[in-house]
Amino acid sequence: MKLLIVEDEPTLRSSLVEYLVQDGYVVEAAANYAQAHEKIKLYQYDCVLLDLTLPDGNGLDVVRTLKADRSPAGVLIISARGALDDRVLGLELGADDYLAKPFHLSELSARLKAIIRRRQFQGQRHLLFQELTVFPDQAQVLVHGEPVALTRKEYDLLLYLLTHPGRVLTKESIAEHVWGDAADAADSFDFLYTHLKNLRRKLQDKGCGDYIRSVYGVGYKLSVE
Amino acid sequence: MKLLAATNRYYLLLAALLFSLGSGLLYFGVLWALQGEVEERLFQQRDYLRAQVQRTGRLPGTPFEGRMQLSATPQPEGLRDVQLLEPLENELEPYRQLTFRLQLDGRPQWVSLSKALLETGHVQRLILLLLAGVLGTLLLSMVLLNRWLARRLWTPFKHTLHQLRGYDVRQHQVLRLPDTHIEEFAQLNHTLTHLSERVAADYAMLKEFTENAAHETRTPLAIMQAKLEQLLQLPDLPAPAGPLIADLYAAVQRLARLHQGLTLLSKIENQQFAAAVPVPLAGLLREKLAQLEDFMDQKQLRLDVQLSAEPVLPLHPALADSLLTNLLHNAIRHNQPGGLLRVRLSATELVVSNTGAALAAGQQPAQFFERFRKQNAASDSPGLGLSIVQSIAAFYGFEVRYGYAADQALHTLRVVF
Repeated sequence: MKLLIVEDEPTLRSSLVEYLVQDGYVVEAAANYAQAHEKIKLYQYDCVLLDLTLPDGNGLDVVRTLKADRSPAGVLIISARGALDDRVLGLELGADDYLAKPFHLSELSARLKAIIRRRQFQGQRHLLFQELTVFPDQAQVLVHGEPVALTRKEYDLLLYLLTHPGRVLTKESIAEHVWGDAADAADSFDFLYTHLKNLRRKLQDKGCGDYIRSVYGVGYKLSVE
Repeated sequence: MKLLAATNRYYLLLAALLFSLGSGLLYFGVLWALQGEVEERLFQQRDYLRAQVQRTGRLPGTPFEGRMQLSATPQPEGLRDVQLLEPLENELEPYRQLTFRLQLDGRPQWVSLSKALLETGHVQRLILLLLAGVLGTLLLSMVLLNRWLARRLWTPFKHTLHQLRGYDVRQHQVLRLPDTHIEEFAQLNHTLTHLSERVAADYAMLKEFTENAAHETRTPLAIMQAKLEQLLQLPDLPAPAGPLIADLYAAVQRLARLHQGLTLLSKIENQQFAAAVPVPLAGLLREKLAQLEDFMDQKQLRLDVQLSAEPVLPLHPALADSLLTNLLHNAIRHNQPGGLLRVRLSATELVVSNTGAALAAGQQPAQFFERFRKQNAASDSPGLGLSIVQSIAAFYGFEVRYGYAADQALHTLRVVF
């Protein structure tokens, strides 16, 4: 999997590169429009992470170039401009998704994986973790080959954890990923605990090991240790 | 009171005073002059009579105009007013009488000469009438002139007022006030134009600053959040560091949410949500309630929803979403475990009620709509929800009313379309 990150802010760029390299991607980075333009003309990428405000140009032009070249690369826009128009225009131009700054790195990587999953029909169509198998297209969960009935939220939770095996996921990022803005209605993250408890119970009932670890004061992680 | 009415009142007061004073003076003046005239004639007749009597020794035959009486008994000499019977009209008339002594045939005789004051009464009435007429006309024309002048001369002032009333600094406009030849108004217009230019410039600067600041804070926030997340992933992170970083992370999140709320508020105020599409509120409400189900279950809230109409309003989709989200979030967040959440939608209004903390004495409901006003200071919500609700409502001309029923500590927010 080869990614191009177009971001002019060096510290944010380095974070993105580091995080995604750890996720197992081959990552290249461009600091401005000229570099980005050159790279997409020369190389093929599976996905491009694109900041819209670049010192020497508009990131939307990179999307236009990609689409004009009929590139198969997916495009994920990350922008400091929260303006609705930018979002709409970006998606209209053919970007796959839009993420406003600031964002959770785990959310970014989940969206990236979703884009790649959607685009690569020849690729892996299911996620595996120990005795757990998930088919995202059918929203099906199997333990030892046996289907498990989960609610929509429990499934979303599991899929988010499965997308980030071994990573610590903050409560904020989990809540935002699964419940979106609605999570603001809660005055604590207790609801997260309730849902995870139910998920754990349902998986263990089917003979699945308990891999969901609570990280004290921080959040949760999926791990075999 | 209008300026014109106020000045007119003073004019009328002064005119009435002058009028009564003037007519009094004139009345007594004319009276005095006429009486003097009558007396002078009486004196002339006396002197004539004396001269005749001295020369001829007896009274002249032809009677004087007016009356003359002779009396052998002594009479008080001098001038006085008397009422005498007018034989023709058979009624008493006022007369001025002069009495003096004459030596007739060696014996003293008292002669009383009388002259009618009747004519003077006529003159007085005429004068009063004339005076009243002239003064009245003067007064009336003055009032009319004033009114006309006010309409004419105050036109530029009224124009300025009209312009000021329609002035809104957010429209990025400068006041356009016409030149006028009245110096005071010209000065006023000049000052106001200058003022509006300064206000518009300040406002534009402030707005640009806010927009830039909003934009520029997003990237550092993204950096902070990314670095903290990376920090949490470090394999040999000491265990006590986790919660510390998590707190930092939560704080960054709060800042981001606050930022989002403020940006939305300033966008609404800058009228950046012009496009409107028909939004079916009932459907959107059902959707929102479904999304919030988990959080209502968590608090074990009793949900009581009655959507008795399906109003379709022309709204910007994002604002409609934000309006409902903030109303419902507010009602859930500030609810008590096991409390009540009541939602009523009719063709004319949306009412969201929730049980919650009792309203403290002296707490003003208007404060809930202020930015950063929180019932619970420890809450990590930025406290912008209700001001966003109010901003959106104001943008669409809806009315937001807050009600509180003390018996069940029920807070009610009513949005009237």
